[in-house]
Amino acid sequence: MLEITDLKSRIGDSEILRGLSLSVKAGEVHAIMGPNGSGKSTLAQVIAGHEDYEVTGGTVTYEGHDLLELEPEERAREGIFLGFQYPVEIPGVNNAYLLKAAVNAKRKHQGLGEVDAFEFLKLAREKMAVLGMDPKFLNRGVNEGFSGGEKKRNEILQMAMLEPSLAILDETDSGLDIDALKAVAAGVNALRSPERAIILVTHYQRLLDYVQPDYVHVLSQGRIVRSGDKSLALELEERGYEWVREAANA
Amino acid sequence: MATESENLESLVNRRYEHGFITDIETDSLPPGLNEDVVRAISARKHEPPFMLEWRLQAYRQWLEMKEPKWAHVHYPKIDYNEISYFSAPKSDEDRPKSLDEVDPKLLETYDKLGIPLHERARLAGVAVDAVFDSVSVATTFKEKLSEAGVIFCSFSEAVQEYPDLVQKYLGTVVPRRDNFFAALNAAVFSDGSFVYIPKGVRCPMELSTYFRINAANTGQFERTLIIADEGSHVSYLEGCTAPMRDENQLHAAVVELIALKDAEIKYSTVQNWYPGDENGVGGIYNFVTKRGDCRGANSKISWTQVETGSAITWKYPSCLLRGDNSVGEFYSVAVANNMQQADTGTKMIHIGRNTSSTIVSKGISAGRAENAYRGLVRVMPQAHGARNHTQCDSLLIGKQCGAHTFPYMEIKNPSARVEHEATTSKISADQLFYCRQRGLSEEDAVNMIVNGFCKEVFKELPMEFAVEAQALLNVSLEGAVG
Amino acid sequence: MGTRGRERMKQSSLSIDTLREVVRTLPKNGLTPSREAAVAHLDEHGLPTLRDEDWKYTDLSPVVDISNRWLTAGGQQQLPKPPSETIAAITSSIDAAWLVISNGTIDEQSVGALKQKGVEVSRFSDAPSEFVMSRPLADLNAALLQDGLRVRVTESIEKPIGILIVDRAGDSVAVAQSCVEIEVGSGVSADFIEYHASEGDADHYANTVLSIAVGDRADVRHVRIQNRSVRHVQTGRTSITAGREARLRMASYDLGGGLIRNDVDIDISEPGADITFDGLYLAGDGQHIDNHTRVDHRVGPATSSQEYRGILKGNCRCVWNGKAIVHKGADGTDASQANHNLLLSDKAEIDTKPELEIYADEVKCSHGTTVGQLDETALFYLRARGLDKRHATQILTHAFAADIVLRAPVAGVKDAITAIVEARLAELIEADAAADLLS
Repeated sequence: MLEITDLKSRIGDSEILRGLSLSVKAGEVHAIMGPNGSGKSTLAQVIAGHEDYEVTGGTVTYEGHDLLELEPEERAREGIFLGFQYPVEIPGVNNAYLLKAAVNAKRKHQGLGEVDAFEFLKLAREKMAVLGMDPKFLNRGVNEGFSGGEKKRNEILQMAMLEPSLAILDETDSGLDIDALKAVAAGVNALRSPERAIILVTHYQRLLDYVQPDYVHVLSQGRIVRSGDKSLALELEERGYEWVREAANA
Repeated sequence: MATESENLESLVNRRYEHGFITDIETDSLPPGLNEDVVRAISARKHEPPFMLEWRLQAYRQWLEMKEPKWAHVHYPKIDYNEISYFSAPKSDEDRPKSLDEVDPKLLETYDKLGIPLHERARLAGVAVDAVFDSVSVATTFKEKLSEAGVIFCSFSEAVQEYPDLVQKYLGTVVPRRDNFFAALNAAVFSDGSFVYIPKGVRCPMELSTYFRINAANTGQFERTLIIADEGSHVSYLEGCTAPMRDENQLHAAVVELIALKDAEIKYSTVQNWYPGDENGVGGIYNFVTKRGDCRGANSKISWTQVETGSAITWKYPSCLLRGDNSVGEFYSVAVANNMQQADTGTKMIHIGRNTSSTIVSKGISAGRAENAYRGLVRVMPQAHGARNHTQCDSLLIGKQCGAHTFPYMEIKNPSARVEHEATTSKISADQLFYCRQRGLSEEDAVNMIVNGFCKEVFKELPMEFAVEAQALLNVSLEGAVG
Repeated sequence: MGTRGRERMKQSSLSIDTLREVVRTLPKNGLTPSREAAVAHLDEHGLPTLRDEDWKYTDLSPVVDISNRWLTAGGQQQLPKPPSETIAAITSSIDAAWLVISNGTIDEQSVGALKQKGVEVSRFSDAPSEFVMSRPLADLNAALLQDGLRVRVTESIEKPIGILIVDRAGDSVAVAQSCVEIEVGSGVSADFIEYHASEGDADHYANTVLSIAVGDRADVRHVRIQNRSVRHVQTGRTSITAGREARLRMASYDLGGGLIRNDVDIDISEPGADITFDGLYLAGDGQHIDNHTRVDHRVGPATSSQEYRGILKGNCRCVWNGKAIVHKGADGTDASQANHNLLLSDKAEIDTKPELEIYADEVKCSHGTTVGQLDETALFYLRARGLDKRHATQILTHAFAADIVLRAPVAGVKDAITAIVEARLAELIEADAAADLLS
């Protein structure tokens, strides 16, 4: 589904990704771990098409097409969803409005008709119930005045509504209490299917107790330095990132 | 990031939709201003002597006044002798009695503007007093209104039919010599609307007027007078658009609102006059004096405006809160793009006891435009218990524009509670990226964010107007995504 | 003072001919050319009037009147000195190395006594300064200035430098000018205290000019205390230029004075400046206190933040006008302004005007202004705990002022300020029956 080969990227003058390769197939869940500054979030932003990150080398193909050619909204409509580490506040813009506009933008792209307001609300309420969100959130400004946990749940709600083929969750677990973490994990697990792939970008292995990954990759200095199964995450938890860094430099 | 802002700038480059000129012969006075011109205007309108006298006094006062310089706007000197002070469609002598009699070309003009008069009036239940250039040419729904005792007619007609009402209220809110442009208007105003809502009557429909400026070199000097008698209620809508023109056109209107005891007036404006092109050529100079007088206890006047047009806007719809417990409101969205300049805001003068006012101003600057909010909140010594809350937000799109805030608060009573807040922001790259990651196009994202920014004001507009305003705003910020 | 009822008053103008004569009598020295230029500038521009937007709330008639009377009387420069006890009371209550200017005359002894490593003090008469006369009243200052002080700080100092401007109006009308120029070198840390005091029964007008050039990466703290007689008039201008990554913490306390007008100009032309300035003004019967601030953000990133608070009681008027201009290209500017006022009597008036002029888009600007009274719930709460109205009022009014007092960036002055504020508030609150506060 996603094939990343020797990807290099920088922001301003600083090079962050220095030849990263990763292959993700439908149905798989990959966890990307690594210390701060290793390039985890950059990878997520580059896949989503953030213009601040310049791609200086390598290729990214998605469903057989060159992903780097596409605008951010085209990538979104093709089924790529990024759960933001810091969800953006948009004052005055109704949460439901954005959600409906996003769902319809994708449907239009797929040649489907727009979803009507009644259907949309029904669906949104169902998904919110699963996530333990108060339906009132629909009528508030996008992320406006939300707590950290509320913002993250809101990201998962958007993901649930948009039903992406490839979901990248950037530190969605950070700053969550145990209930919120469980709700987020339930949202992610509900999305798991043979047609979809999920990339979890995380600093801690806590989330991986609830969402079992098929693969774990360790990122250091812009490269994947180790890959393994979920036991790698436990090893990291035990031995810390210092161990990886040493391994990388060795 | 650089590409983002370029995109944004190209997003806001849009073309004026209503640029065309209607080919109708007009009956105009030659350019120039002197006492004879004032007399000629009055004579053509068959005005009673008190009106002529009033105009002449205004003219004499105007001669001694100076054009104001304090606003944050710049424009070449206006030669008041190059303006023609009267123009009317030729059919003036034989005015149409119904829409069927209206010059079809005129109706076509309204159609092009998206104002199908019959349809709109009938479907929306709106009475339309359409002003084409300076003279009223069509009025509908008069019967339904007159059943309720509501007077809604052109100013000229009111001078003929209700001279006592006109004489009693004219110039009592905006005196002749209030300011330079108000004095000019008082001397030469051609026509406008007149509304009287009798005691205890709730006006059965929204009242509406569409203004247009057409003939070349024709200054427009409308005058509107709305009187809401005790316990009455009226909602008045004003919408404007003008054809494309290379020469700057001066528009100096005066609007006077009077709310007596327990009365309420809601005055909504969507203004989309020709703003000039990208280089600042052409466009309307909109120097307007709008003021409401909450004369009676428990009265309320509410101004809502969406200003997207005009080359220069100089406009401060104000409220004199004279009656005890009276309420003044001002909700504004002002968009300035390209070379537009806007200096707009409000004045809330608290005079009675326990008066309150609310100001919500949303300014959007793009291109090389200058957008200033200027507001005054004055609490007089006797205004015990006055309350004011002001929220004043600016949104900047691009690096060449300016957004300014000049709020004056003059408080002379210790029981006053006055709060003013202002913020400035831009559409952040993060917000745009977030929306695009959810599949929205950049243009839709900008529209959505701008509409979100203006929401507090739009919700004050009557429903159909709100839809129009939102569409207008999108048009204003429309363009190819670079 | 005649500062109210300004609207209809016709403002008289400064007598330039008399001024010229008085200037001629001043000793010939390095300042002579700038004095002549200043007179010419004044002749052309005059003093500001109510028609000038920046002066619409403050009538300078008393300044013109006092100046004209003093000039006509010969513009006597050698005035009675304030008693040494007055000076000692101030200098002993605040720990600093004090430079004293009394009645416009530099106290040579204080200059001689200031011996701190890294501090150089010199006079304009030795090496004339570049005068900036384009700002209102700076020309009048330059025309009549006897001599100015220049303080250069080239190494970080522990002990604050104090500048005491103290005037005494004896039997006849008096006018005093002072000008101090401070330069703080790159990376230098320094504290300054500016103290204004006056006494005497005759009319007095003081016109002060102070400039601080904060060097690159310098760290400056500045406290201004104005505790003049409520009979006297002062106009003051403080001009700040901030170097690259300069840090400045300023606080200004107007606790006395009859007619007071302060202009603070801050110019940010180098990136990285971080500036906060706060102010407190207390006004009672007959007082008129006007604070005008202006920050020019010419480059970014830079931060400026200001908060002024006022307490008004009795027949008085205060003005606050904060202006922030973000010039084209000053991206990364973060400017905030706040002004909060407590209006505690029927005859008090506050005119407040926060202004933003913004020509750049990567900015964060905000302002907030409030005018109101003490929180009635809080008053009730205190009374329910057994305090009487007067006491409750006092506590809450103090609390309102205390926030700004505590922000004084020089630790050693907080006690002195607190003492003056407390005394002044007690005077204001007890000035009339406390009971009417809640009416």
